Formats: sequence, C-alpha cells, structure tokens
Amino acid sequence: MSETISFRQEVANLLYASEGEPLNTCIQCGTCSGTCPVAPYMDYTPRQIIAMINQGMKEQVLESNTFWYCASCYHCTVRCPQDINITDLMYALKRYSIWKGQHKEGLIGPTFSEAFVKMIVRTGRSFEPVLAPSYIFSFGMRELLLEVQGATELLLKGRLPLLPSRIKRLDNFKRMLGRIIPMGGLE
Amino acid sequence: MKKEFAYFPGCSLEKMAISYHMSAIETTKKLGVHLKELEDWNCCGATTYSYIDELLAYTLSARNLAIAEQTGLDVVAPCSACYKNMYFTAAHLKKDPDLAEHINFALEEDNLHFTGSVGVKHLIEVFAYDIGPEELKSKVVKPLTGLRIAPYYGCQIVRPQKDHEDVELPQFFEEILSAIGATPVNYPLKMRCCGGSLIISSRPAALSMVRNLLQCAVDSQADVVATACPMCQVNLEVYQQQVNQEFGTNFSVPIMYFTQLIGLALGIPQKKLGIGKEFVAATPALLRLEQAGAAPDQETKE
Amino acid sequence: MTKKLLIIDDDPDFVSGIKAILDTGGYEVDVAYNPKDGLRALQAKKYDLLLLDIMMGRGAEGIMIARKMRKDAKLREIPVLIITGMREQIAFLFPGEPVHPRFVDVDEMVEKPVEPKLLLDKVQNLIQAAEAKKAAK
Repeated sequence: MSETISFRQEVANLLYASEGEPLNTCIQCGTCSGTCPVAPYMDYTPRQIIAMINQGMKEQVLESNTFWYCASCYHCTVRCPQDINITDLMYALKRYSIWKGQHKEGLIGPTFSEAFVKMIVRTGRSFEPVLAPSYIFSFGMRELLLEVQGATELLLKGRLPLLPSRIKRLDNFKRMLGRIIPMGGLE
Repeated sequence: MKKEFAYFPGCSLEKMAISYHMSAIETTKKLGVHLKELEDWNCCGATTYSYIDELLAYTLSARNLAIAEQTGLDVVAPCSACYKNMYFTAAHLKKDPDLAEHINFALEEDNLHFTGSVGVKHLIEVFAYDIGPEELKSKVVKPLTGLRIAPYYGCQIVRPQKDHEDVELPQFFEEILSAIGATPVNYPLKMRCCGGSLIISSRPAALSMVRNLLQCAVDSQADVVATACPMCQVNLEVYQQQVNQEFGTNFSVPIMYFTQLIGLALGIPQKKLGIGKEFVAATPALLRLEQAGAAPDQETKE
Repeated sequence: MTKKLLIIDDDPDFVSGIKAILDTGGYEVDVAYNPKDGLRALQAKKYDLLLLDIMMGRGAEGIMIARKMRKDAKLREIPVLIITGMREQIAFLFPGEPVHPRFVDVDEMVEKPVEPKLLLDKVQNLIQAAEAKKAAK
C-alpha cells in the first residue's frame, strides 16, 4: 500500500475514486480524436492525451491546452468502445491542474471558470455582463470591439440584463456552499 | 398525459433567451400543460465550471432538485446544460449514498433534502413524449407548410447517453417539426457541438464550429435552424456576424427556438413568442411562408 | 511500540516527501492515494493518527472523510491532521483565504509545503494528547 503510484493511477484516482479504472483499457483506436470537433486546436488529441497518461508523461499532460479546449460535448464519450468517460477525464485534468497551479499560461479557460464560479457563489445566479470584464483583457482590441458591438445589440433587443438577479435565500446558499468548499472566504 | 411540471428556467432564460422562456410558457399553456417555476432556484453551474469541482456541481443542482421535490412534480429544464446537470446529479446521488449524504449535509443549511423521488426532463421531451406528435398535430391551426427547418439537437439533450436512447441519429425533433406541418431537412451536423463556452475561452475554435453548422444549414437549404438550447441559439445567432467577418462568409440564417415554431403553428401571436428579438430576423423566412399561403399570425407584428 | 500512521493524499510526489520525514521519526506509515482506499484502510487497521489531504477525487473529499470519521464510534478517537496546500489550491477561487471547515472537528492543520521539524512535533503532540484523553476516560 505504501509503494508509490503511476501517473495513470494518479489520474484514475481523481476520476474513478468510486468506480474502478478503465483508462488502461484504451485501445488507441482514435475514435475520440476523429469525433472531437476541437481536436485540430489542441496541443495533443484526446487519443494522444490518454496514451501520454498511460505512459506517465505528467508534465506534458498537465501543461497541455487539450483539456481546456474540451467543449464538454460528450461526443467522444458516447462513442468510446471501451466506455472511457473522456469528457469527465478532461474535467478531472482541469481540476488537477488548477489544484496544482500548473495550468498552461495565457489560457482564458481558467480565468473564465474562476469568474463564473465566484459570481455564482456571490449571487446564486450567473449574469453575463459581470463575466465580461474578467476575461475580456485576454482579447485583442478587435475582439473587444466586436464584443461590445454584440452586447449593445443584445441590450437593444432587450436580451441583456442590467442588474444581476440574486436568489432570495442567499445567506443559506452561501453557508451551503461553505460545507462543500470549506473556505473562510465564503462566509 | 401529465398536466403539470416544476419548471427550472435557468439563468439564460431570464434575459438572454427570454424568447425561449416566453414561447415555452405560451405553447405549453395552449396545450394544457402547466409549467410551475421553481421557487428561489439557483444557477446550475452550466458547463463552464461545474464539473471542475464535481462536489460543487452536484450541490448546485441538488438544491434545485430538492426544491422541485417539495412540489411533488417532475422538473423540466429548457436549457440542455441545466438538464444534463440536473439529470446526472440525480443519477449520481441515487447511485452513491455516501455522496448523497454529504450533499444533503450541505443542503441542510437551506432546510432542504434530496430524496431521489424527482424525475428530470428536457423541455423538448415534454413535447416529444408527454404531449406527443399526434396530440400536437391535432392542435395545429396554422401549419408551417413548406418551411424548411434544420433540427439542431446539439449535445447535451442526448449526451451523455441515458438508458438506451439513440445518441447517433435520434428522430424526435424531426417528428415534432413534421407534426407542425414543416419540412424537417436532412441536417447532417445535427448532433455536432456549437462550441458551448469555448465561444468565450477559445474563440477561434468555437467560431469555426459555428461556421460549419451554418454552412451545413445552407447546404441543406434550410430556411431556419431550430434549437432547443439557449447556448446553441446564442452561439449560432449572436456570433453569426463574427463568423462572417472572420471567414468572409455571408450567412444570414435565422436561429429559432423550437417552441417559437410550435407557437406559430398553434396560432400564438409572434410578439408573445418573442419573435423580433433575434439578431438575424426570422421575418423574411416567415413572410415566405405567408406568401406560400399558410399565413402565421401577423396582426401583432411590430 | 511503533506508532502507526495513515496518509490519505492523492499527490504521490508530496506523499513521498512527507513519508520520508515521518520515517525519520520512527513511525510506521501507510499511504492511500484516494478517498475510497483511505476509508477502507481506516476500517481495516488500527491507526494512531491520520494525515488527511482535502482536495482529492471529485472535490473537497477530505472533508467527507473527516465527517464520516467523526460519526463513527471507533474512528472518532483517531486524531486527524489536515495537511493541505489548500491555500494555493483554492487561491484560484479565494486568494489568501484560510481553510475553515468549522463544521467538522479536526485536530490540527498544516499547510504545504511542510517544514519537517514542525510536522514531527505536531504528529507527536497529537498522538500524546489522544492517548492522554483515552487514559483519562
């Protein structure tokens, strides 16, 4: 029990702590990479990432952009002949790279995720305009202008809220989350 | 047929997808189904963060499920991400008593408890299965004859797979469109992803995904793309202009909620269905429909 | 008699470091790398102290374990030393905020990275305090 573990087991522990460990059953068929609509934008395709995990290439895996590009469409997952939940694997890698402070520099994904969850924790609801400033700095000027254009049109069409809505039992809600994320900052 | 459901609109439907909310309420009312909005519901965490911390994700959805259980009704979500999150939270908590115990420990803070009694449905399932195409057809007063509609399923209605549902080529969306007299076109990318929250975090990837979906709609000679998810609608519609700028294309494809189309066929005035709030006006396509002889209600047009 | 310790932590690099420190203190150390194996180990064998990580598996599963132990008549007696890089891990969400699972009774917290002497002192003190408490009953 005291001997150390492989990176594959390390990842499996994040994922399948209660359900076993099918990562090593990957047959490298490439159905996931062929299905993935974002694969061309990833440092490594899903098939490659699984192979790299099984080979113990921890640094390269955690520093890749692959899992931050996963759109959670579950298309690979429903097609995997070995029943590997690849989408959940991508979430697990996001989580682990955050916990370890090891995610790749310059990605918007982690910043956006942070802004999103902070807002939910504060108000109980998500609200588009508050989200904007926290990630917009990552864009170039042109993108920023396009974003403002889109937002203005949405406003004119009555589809953008001016004030965030809040849930009524917000205090209870925050204490509830404090039992799941045990942080002083929540209360 | 079940006449009443607890209704979890989700954050998008408060404003961004207000026309989905309006048309959902109007169409179900017309068909004798009551959607009772959940009291004091919270954000489900969407796809962005929720599953990065799974325990947090389960807690967010479990609160809504527990509130729904108090009504004794099954809960319906119009947003595919909300639906997926609620459905699988309920499934995981039912399967794992230790997990349920811990999440319920958190819910105690809001005097709530999840027992597992609540059923979870997507809004489109209410039309496809609870109401059904036959019943829907019998209520149509203005069939959308000749309107070519691309049924865009997107991802999370049928993925991940539940029970033994068809995740490759489902047909229920087409059946709904046929029931209202429209022509569901063969839309080969109907199960492909719109990019979801990548539109914010990885824009070039998401824009190319949106472009592919729009191109496929044009190739299928669709007049309109029908969606059942606010995220899909926003990505395909609000970012259409950016796709055109980025790729030098000239798309002008109206993206409508399936409930807006059903509403038209049921004779509900356009304004009550939120038609007119879209970026790519649906009016030209609807006018063609009118000229073809099957006039949808024009009286209340702005 | 040699004291038996259990570490429940998902990070093998951290575990090997901390285990090396505890080995120098003459302890017998077992390791579980996920929450499920950890609970199984606690139920299978008698330990004098548990060193517990917080962020594991699906989220803050360390808290789930601590709560479960406090409800178990036998496991309740085992002192728990929370040992976590939580401040850094959660800095992502709430920078600089301290860990505070005040709804569950844990004995002591140590933050990563751990200073060897401090760790050995805390472990020794906790075991002694637990024994004194037991003897007083």
